[in-house]
Amino acid sequence: MATVIEVGHLRKRYGDLAAVEDISFSVEQGEIYGILGPNGAGKTSTVECIQGLREPSGGEIRVLGVDAIRDRTQLRRRIGSQLQESALPDRIKVWEALDLFASVDTAGPDWKVLMDQWGLTDKRSTSFGNLSGGQRQRLFVALALVNEPEVVFLDELTQGLDPAARQVAWGLIREIRESGATVVLVTHYMDEAEALCDRLSIVDHGRIVATGSPQQLIVDAATDLQVHFTTDAPDVTWLQDIDVVTSVQRDGNRVVVRGTGPVLALVASALVGRGIIPDDLRQRQPTLEEVYFSLTDDGKGTRADATLS
Amino acid sequence: MPLFPKLTWTELKLFAREPFAVIFTFAFPLITLVVISGSFSIEDAEDFRGVAPWDYYLASYVGVVIGAVGTIALPVHVAAYAERGILRRFRASSIPTWSVLGAQVVVGFLMAVIGSVVLMIAGRLLYDASLPEQPFGVLVAFVIGAASFLTLGLLIAMVTRNARAAQAVGMLLFFPMFLLSGAGPPPDVMSDAMQSVSDVLPLTFVVRAIQDPWIGEGQDTTSLVLLVAITVVAGAIAGWLMKRGI
Repeated sequence: MATVIEVGHLRKRYGDLAAVEDISFSVEQGEIYGILGPNGAGKTSTVECIQGLREPSGGEIRVLGVDAIRDRTQLRRRIGSQLQESALPDRIKVWEALDLFASVDTAGPDWKVLMDQWGLTDKRSTSFGNLSGGQRQRLFVALALVNEPEVVFLDELTQGLDPAARQVAWGLIREIRESGATVVLVTHYMDEAEALCDRLSIVDHGRIVATGSPQQLIVDAATDLQVHFTTDAPDVTWLQDIDVVTSVQRDGNRVVVRGTGPVLALVASALVGRGIIPDDLRQRQPTLEEVYFSLTDDGKGTRADATLS
Repeated sequence: MPLFPKLTWTELKLFAREPFAVIFTFAFPLITLVVISGSFSIEDAEDFRGVAPWDYYLASYVGVVIGAVGTIALPVHVAAYAERGILRRFRASSIPTWSVLGAQVVVGFLMAVIGSVVLMIAGRLLYDASLPEQPFGVLVAFVIGAASFLTLGLLIAMVTRNARAAQAVGMLLFFPMFLLSGAGPPPDVMSDAMQSVSDVLPLTFVVRAIQDPWIGEGQDTTSLVLLVAITVVAGAIAGWLMKRGI
């Protein structure tokens, strides 16, 4: 798989404020890559630098094999953008916007097909100002795709949408990937990242605090896994001898074993080895949301040791 | 259609859908021209450089249309584009900011032309006002005057980057110029103080540059040179601010 985006030690300052301190990551072709983090973490600054919309204060960015800063004009024709805090003129009609944006690259696909595909044909003569939030987002995505981009950047695409419209948007994002494009998705919705992203980076205070697939992040961050089971065996304190176990608590029949990594498998095998076969052995796994809170200041200062990334 | 003509055509349609811009560019100069021309009679000619008041005012109001487009309609529109992220949205899709601003200038120029034709038709029909004595001289002055005020409009937009602020600045610049540059009381009845303010207002240069050939007095070179200077300086600052804002 080819690498389509390579960011190395990106920095971006606005006066005294450092929005991006030091960010490095790479995105492979065909993935949906998430950039997750609280407001003000530097997500938007990062993706806008990658798109050549802002000048980085330092670092290197290569997109589709070219320098994203030096060759930004050339690059923009190969990427598609849906920007945060951007708009179209209120009185421009849906078809006029598509027609205008399509005229940048006359070799691009027919915008009428996109208009149809994204369910905008009914609204073709509606002004931008009269579109609902969901319709606007669909138009922005259609505009981002009008030049058949190889990489598509979606910045808070689903912000302000109701749950039904978000589900629709998720389907649209998957469709973009199926069409062969790589997608960079900026979001602060955990469920969105978990549902859509192949890999993601969690960003906080202008730095990446963790990178991996949602499942991998959950496993890695699980420094405090809990294995629960019930047993009438009188003594289970010997479970403490297992390397990855940190504590064993007992409350009547109920046992809670705390540990890290493959604690569930080791506890299970140790129990079976001693002839104890509980029928309710289970591990309580943290959600991506809990991982996120443990890694970012959104977790009210309970920032866990970032042993990952 | 290639990008720039399509962009200009789209902007032209958007302008036509903007009631405030349309009223300010067409209706305001037309109504004030009709009212003020009717306030004087042919006996007042000596206060009006020796020509009929309606001839004097028709030439002045062509300048007013240029002023209205340049200080109000264009900057409010462009500042709203900057404020709402429309320029960014365009730029991200390979529609460069300079082409958006260029399209606005073309649209502004066309509006000034249409507005002036409307005034000439109204002046002709209502007051039998004279059309330009030296049409080529008027055309030169019109193009240079429009260039300077449209550039000034871009400068206002790039300084404010906010539609309300642009409107406030534009109004503040427009109304004193409107009253003192030859569209209000005739210069001969103004006090010395008013006269000396009038002498340094950019719109006065436009009005004089258009009025002189209109009434057959030849080209006002001083005003034309000053207008070119305004275009160059305002254009350079606006261009610098545009780049810095990116």
